[in-house]
Amino acid sequence: MTTPDLPVSVPETYTIPVGPLHVALEEPMYFKIDVRGETVNAVDINAGHVHRGIEYLATHRSITQTVVLTERICSLCSASHPESFAMAAETIGAIEVPERAKFLRVIAAEVKRIASNLFNVAILAHLTGFETLFMHVMQVREIAQDIKEGVFGNRMDLGAICIGGVRYDLDDEIIAELRDRLDRIAPLIDEVIDTYRTNGTILRRTRGVGVLTREDAIACGVVGPVARASGVVYDVRHAAPYAAYPELEVAARGLPDGDVWSRAMIRLHEARDAVDIVRQALAKLPEGPSNLGLERPDIPPGQAMAKVEAPRGELVYYLKTNDGSSPERVKWRVPTFMNWDALRFMLADAKVADIAIVVNSIDPCISCTER
Amino acid sequence: MTRLPKDLEARLSAVAPSGIAWQAATDANGVTTAWAELADRNDLVPVATLLKELGARLSMTTASQPPAPPEEDEEEEEETEDGAEPAEKPEKPVPTSFGGTPLDGTAYHLAYHFDLDGDTLTVVAWVPQGGDIASLTPLYRTADWGEREMMELYAVVVRDHPDPRRLFIDPAIEPAVFERLIPYSTLVNAASTKGLWDKIAKVRKEVAP
Amino acid sequence: MNVLTLFARNLLRGPVTDPYPFGPTVTQKRFRGRIEFDAASCEGCKLCERVCPSGAIKFSKDPNGLAFDCWHATCVFCGTCAFYCPTGSIRQTNDWSLAHVAADKYRMVEHGLIPNQTCVECGATTLDTAPMQSGVKPPLTAEDVATLRPLCPKCRAKFMKNRKAKK
Repeated sequence: MTTPDLPVSVPETYTIPVGPLHVALEEPMYFKIDVRGETVNAVDINAGHVHRGIEYLATHRSITQTVVLTERICSLCSASHPESFAMAAETIGAIEVPERAKFLRVIAAEVKRIASNLFNVAILAHLTGFETLFMHVMQVREIAQDIKEGVFGNRMDLGAICIGGVRYDLDDEIIAELRDRLDRIAPLIDEVIDTYRTNGTILRRTRGVGVLTREDAIACGVVGPVARASGVVYDVRHAAPYAAYPELEVAARGLPDGDVWSRAMIRLHEARDAVDIVRQALAKLPEGPSNLGLERPDIPPGQAMAKVEAPRGELVYYLKTNDGSSPERVKWRVPTFMNWDALRFMLADAKVADIAIVVNSIDPCISCTER
Repeated sequence: MTRLPKDLEARLSAVAPSGIAWQAATDANGVTTAWAELADRNDLVPVATLLKELGARLSMTTASQPPAPPEEDEEEEEETEDGAEPAEKPEKPVPTSFGGTPLDGTAYHLAYHFDLDGDTLTVVAWVPQGGDIASLTPLYRTADWGEREMMELYAVVVRDHPDPRRLFIDPAIEPAVFERLIPYSTLVNAASTKGLWDKIAKVRKEVAP
Repeated sequence: MNVLTLFARNLLRGPVTDPYPFGPTVTQKRFRGRIEFDAASCEGCKLCERVCPSGAIKFSKDPNGLAFDCWHATCVFCGTCAFYCPTGSIRQTNDWSLAHVAADKYRMVEHGLIPNQTCVECGATTLDTAPMQSGVKPPLTAEDVATLRPLCPKCRAKFMKNRKAKK
């Protein structure tokens, strides 16, 4: 008598918790990933571990204090947040920023972009296990960090923006130092671009991984390098120019494939473009005051929207003021907010080993998302 | 994707029969920022559908609860000659929004910010206390998290949301957190309080008598 | 670029980390570090206290005058106080050596005192603050400042009114 083949019960999927504390993530985020064998089946995200209630805090600070508060939402985008907030406040108060200040704001934002994008690309190398390249790219980034420390006074929180202009100024000595550092970093970034374009390890781990198609990118409403790498070429600096961007040439970057590699390449190209933008801004820098000297900016009741191109994409601010000295409501939507949804598509049928790489490729900024 | 069409106000009024209050401004760089306040929040879905056909992207959703406008000082009632009590004043009417929602500090101001290739259109819907509003998630994926956040910060109900879980706030915390909150810094004794400065002054006296 | 080329070049160049404290390091001139307060030049306007986003600055009445305290543990080193100060009396140095043991936590304070003085005109007890200069047209001369310094706010206002009338 033969024994009947009993069906062996195998669970369909197994749930791996990635996070909240995980070696691959810099910030806490809890992913519940259902896997079938080595392949990802579904992703559920549980956020909120870094929620600090900054929107509430902003309603208890004066407008001037909120400029500093918004800087601390995220250190990598910390030039974009106060810039956008100041733009919204200046719209309500009909405050016209001096020409020189507009160029100085561009310089601050673009320097930040160089450092932020290099950081993300370096972490990509780290997550593929390629520590040598990680260290090298971080060292290239150190030149940008030195620029920030030398020009603005801090490696991350630039403290560059105030209502009515910028808080720093450039004299000939600092401009010479800045140009020198830019001249040193530009060829190094070119080398890094070349490496990421050709190196076998990077290509094998990132080409065709974490694909986000153009249709999905539009449906999810993603912005920034994630969108541009999927063929949705939307850049606030072109679509809704602000500060001195109408007078500067900003390259429009786009790639069709929407995989991790495309996103990394877009970021690298934009970091290199940022060097050119800063050089253009320095060449065209007009004379004049760097701010309006507004000790207590008069912001009447009103509401305004402002948007800027942060290193991660379109950052939108909504500001509502009333008679008091504190804003009534401040709300911002960071570019990473939509990327979490897009992760669902990117992680479909990905391998477990690729989860960290794909998550990093959206340049996650969890402190920005959760405020 | 197209920028704001010139006749957008007329097209929005056509799908929002109760009316919209429209404002628009174009800045020096040619970027238009427009505001459309709905008289009736039930017009939200038709308006959003029209915008979807125009290729709009729902960029952000903001919920807030504006405080009641400050009361104006009332004039002193004159006394009649024989000292009789002045006549009863009629109840001052509560100010209302465009569309009739009472502005008494309990109504919610929901703003939906749409992006049309660089131009911004904000559609505003007022929801009275205890009211609800239709979800835009079936039309726009990007509304999903925004509406979940609205529901946890304020006592707003978004009807037919496919996944009405808490977004960032722990489920154990009571709802409508923005309506009653303890600042974190006070909670963890990190705020710049009088107690802190007293301690610093005490230490200074010890160091330099 | 071949990674091995990058690697070889980096290997030849040697470590890039500054061997501080066993060797020198560079502090940038504009680095935003410790707060320094100069009581002699302070006008007592308290603008720094108002704009500080974290509430790290506090002016308090002291029997000897007006005391200034800035606690570096609450300070976020944003430099807003220094930016808005009309006289540059509060400024950020580029001193970053603020590491301290926990027991010294409440000692990381920049303290200053604007002392009391007696008004030479009316004899009232007043603060020895620098005269307010912002918005004064025509600007105060050194002589004006020397005259205004030992006066109380009321007598200063009288002097300024007379000065305006004279022009």
